[in-house]
Amino acid sequence: MDTHTTEPATDAGTSGGFPRARSILATRPLTGWRTVDILTITFLGAALGVAFWGWGVFYNGPLSALTFGFAPLGGLFVGPWFLAGVVGGLVVRRPGAALFCEVVAALVSMVPGTEWGATTLVSGIVQGLGTEIAFALLGYRAFGIAAAVLAGALAGPFEAVYESFTWFPDWSFAWKLAYAGILALSGAVVAGAGGWLLIRALAAAGALNAFPPGQEHRETRAV
Amino acid sequence: MSPATPATGGHVTLDGVTWRPYGRREPVLRDISLSLAPGERVLLAGPSGSGKSTLLRAIAGLLETADAGELTGSVLIDGHAPGARAGEVGLVLQEPGAGVVASSIGRDVAFGLENVGMPRADMPAVVRSAVGAVGLPLPLDTPTGALSGGETQRLALAGALALAPTVLLLDEPTAMLDPGHAAQVRTSVGRALAAYPITTVVVEHVLGPWVDLVDRLLVLDAQGALVADGPVRDVLAGERERLLDMGIWVPDAPPPTPLVSGALSAAPASARGQEVTATPLTIERTVRLLDGSTRTSTAARLEAELAPAPGTATALVGPSGSGKSTVLLAFAGALAPSDGAVTAGDEPVSELSTHALAGRLGWVPQWSSSTILGRTVLDEVLVTSRALGEETPERVVEAHALLSSLGLGHLETADPRELSGGEQRRLAIASAILHQPPLLLADEPTVGQDRHTWAAVVGLLDSYRRAGGAVLVSTHDAAVVERSDGVVELTPPPKEPPPPQPRRVLAAHAGPLALLVSAIVAIPAGILPGHWHTSLVVLAVQVALACLALSAPGVGARPSGRLRRVVLRLVPGLLGGLSVGWSTWLLGGHDTATAVTAGLRVVIIVLPSAVLLPLVDPDRLGDHLAQRLRMPARPVVALAAALQRVHTLGAVWSEISLARRVRGLGTDARRPVALVRDLATATFGLLVRTLRMAADLAVAMDARGFASASRRTWFAPAPWRPADTLVVVASLIPIAAALLLTP
Repeated sequence: MDTHTTEPATDAGTSGGFPRARSILATRPLTGWRTVDILTITFLGAALGVAFWGWGVFYNGPLSALTFGFAPLGGLFVGPWFLAGVVGGLVVRRPGAALFCEVVAALVSMVPGTEWGATTLVSGIVQGLGTEIAFALLGYRAFGIAAAVLAGALAGPFEAVYESFTWFPDWSFAWKLAYAGILALSGAVVAGAGGWLLIRALAAAGALNAFPPGQEHRETRAV
Repeated sequence: MSPATPATGGHVTLDGVTWRPYGRREPVLRDISLSLAPGERVLLAGPSGSGKSTLLRAIAGLLETADAGELTGSVLIDGHAPGARAGEVGLVLQEPGAGVVASSIGRDVAFGLENVGMPRADMPAVVRSAVGAVGLPLPLDTPTGALSGGETQRLALAGALALAPTVLLLDEPTAMLDPGHAAQVRTSVGRALAAYPITTVVVEHVLGPWVDLVDRLLVLDAQGALVADGPVRDVLAGERERLLDMGIWVPDAPPPTPLVSGALSAAPASARGQEVTATPLTIERTVRLLDGSTRTSTAARLEAELAPAPGTATALVGPSGSGKSTVLLAFAGALAPSDGAVTAGDEPVSELSTHALAGRLGWVPQWSSSTILGRTVLDEVLVTSRALGEETPERVVEAHALLSSLGLGHLETADPRELSGGEQRRLAIASAILHQPPLLLADEPTVGQDRHTWAAVVGLLDSYRRAGGAVLVSTHDAAVVERSDGVVELTPPPKEPPPPQPRRVLAAHAGPLALLVSAIVAIPAGILPGHWHTSLVVLAVQVALACLALSAPGVGARPSGRLRRVVLRLVPGLLGGLSVGWSTWLLGGHDTATAVTAGLRVVIIVLPSAVLLPLVDPDRLGDHLAQRLRMPARPVVALAAALQRVHTLGAVWSEISLARRVRGLGTDARRPVALVRDLATATFGLLVRTLRMAADLAVAMDARGFASASRRTWFAPAPWRPADTLVVVASLIPIAAALLLTP
């Protein structure tokens, strides 16, 4: 009788400046995407894309009115758009998950029509890259709140650089820098910390049983 | 291999299979050993939660596809692990549509063939033969979304047969269908099995209709152990009492006696308001498509007045598609009829406040899993009482009693989302009835219940009615209809012929990639101009090109609303242009010319998107990404599958909002904090449901060889046409203009 278990590996070592982040990792090899991994990323991306579209409508209306004339302040409300990358990365924990999820979300929110047209897709790629690089810097080994905050924050400067070429080339450098900082802050709080809380809630609802966060939840409950 | 030449084999051997999902103390399957001979047909029965579906997934080798756990023992198909050949084990899931991958019948059946890399030229013959084998005589380009539940199940069967399986597993294939459609599916199965000697395992809890189709009956007990195994009639005769004890619907046994429920102490509070009544109704439903267009059709017609009286039960009956659920939704105030009215006193129910609505009626939805609002089972039952400010100690005592009477007492602290489908439905009934509204709307309350829980549910409805409540129930269950005081039969509204296809606009002849590229090319066109003079010229060129792109020469109906749609999509862009222009003026040295240029830049970048992106066909996008750009096949297929379901997300969202409104937690625009919280909860519910969809689809796709589909072929070609080149070239003209004018 053979015993076979799919308990994902735990990374026992300390990692990348986050000594307490002992995240459960995806099954090895990390590049061996299961069907459920791929589908979960695209479905999460689609659902968040619909939410992005709704947020875009809100951002355009009431929020634009609130921050009109001072676009850098509007950057405080950009964080939700970085959520897909953080969530995708935290759930599936494989290289490329964050980028893929953010791009799908951008694509889905673009098709019904947004303020930004096809640049939505470019923004999605840029933001996804920022998030992905954060997880890559941590060696795809840390997926705690610190990693989430870093991933959310890093999407900010990437988006700011891109926007400074397309939307705001005429701003002074200081304002561009301030804008990047504000986007990073918004990303860190809303997408990073918010995304991490969202994953915990989804795991508690039993919706992530096939994924490392689901197992982390079960282990905390067992203790 | 095609269904015309079925593979031989299909010898299934399980040896000591035990499966414990992580997070559960007890195994779901316990030491199961059995052997199925090639071509044998087996019915698998057991009480709800006994691991029947799990056993099917074990045989298919898909236990770990969407769950994690500890598996011991071995499963062998003809001596090797299941899935050694893609599609060797076919699987049909319980929920119609859970495994639908593509947007048309042909593509969906061909999905497995694509995964095993069959040449495109060979596919149509195999697809037709599989579709013929299940008796689904529809054109291959019929949209999968247009199929009924029964047709969708037959489509899933055809998709499995196309891969010439040696083992076929059917997981309650008719549990969610009405009797007519269920019979069609069984006929299809019978037909396929007569033609091909496939080893077949069917899970069902209503055994009668399957007895003639199978040779052998296996019974699992509540602990997940195999307790009976033998020729179907011998087991039915020898184990009849045990099967009845387990709550299994044994053929020819009379319906169980409803349990008298003493859980509801007080009489329904009819003093809360006038009765809800309906005049004759016509209800239309509008589907919003991804490209922004809408389609409206009649969903239900109520021919006569309907006024559910206190102390009576009225049954809404009629075939699938006759609008039973739609009528209930109108009573729940979720849909305003286009003709006629549903009113409480003088007020239309759709305009009642969330508290007034919750006080007047309770609603048991057809799909209860996405409308869960509480964190624990007890919490869930008390949601409405709490919202109405009636959470008294007596009410909590009643809640305990109600849950026990429905067999949910031991689950009070469990997360309601973790319950089985049948348990969730009973929980939904308890949640709708606890605050004792004068009217109870119940959509198929007895589906998926075993004999014991059926008796509890019907008994509860009976005692509620005897206490003076009015019940309006939609049902296919003959025993429920028989117990009703009145029956309203709905007939399906006649299908209106689809409106004639209008002429296509010129740009719609281009494929998705060309449209996307052309929209993105506007970014450099916007950035290049350094002065607003140039920007204006570039914009003028774009407007001229847009007019050309949206013109629709030829004969036929004129497309309508072209300008309106573009303007609607452009409004946010114009706002964005204003905002960018203003902030540039403010932060870029108060220079008006620079500010105007910056504003125009936004408009130039966004205008082509507003014209071209609505024309992108999400289905063809997948084909083009994979075949033209050679992107990796599996992510592209997953993307296409997700895009194809985006519109269902909207439906799930409305269902969640409705559940909140009916239960007294509806949104209130006057309290912004509550509004944000409500939106957040609804989004969360949507995400949970989305993740479930993805997990189910993963199982269905892996059963059709998707896990190993790195070298796929594609059913539909993705050619690059002259129209594509034309659109891309035209999109470069504004850039050329910008370059020419920039010194």
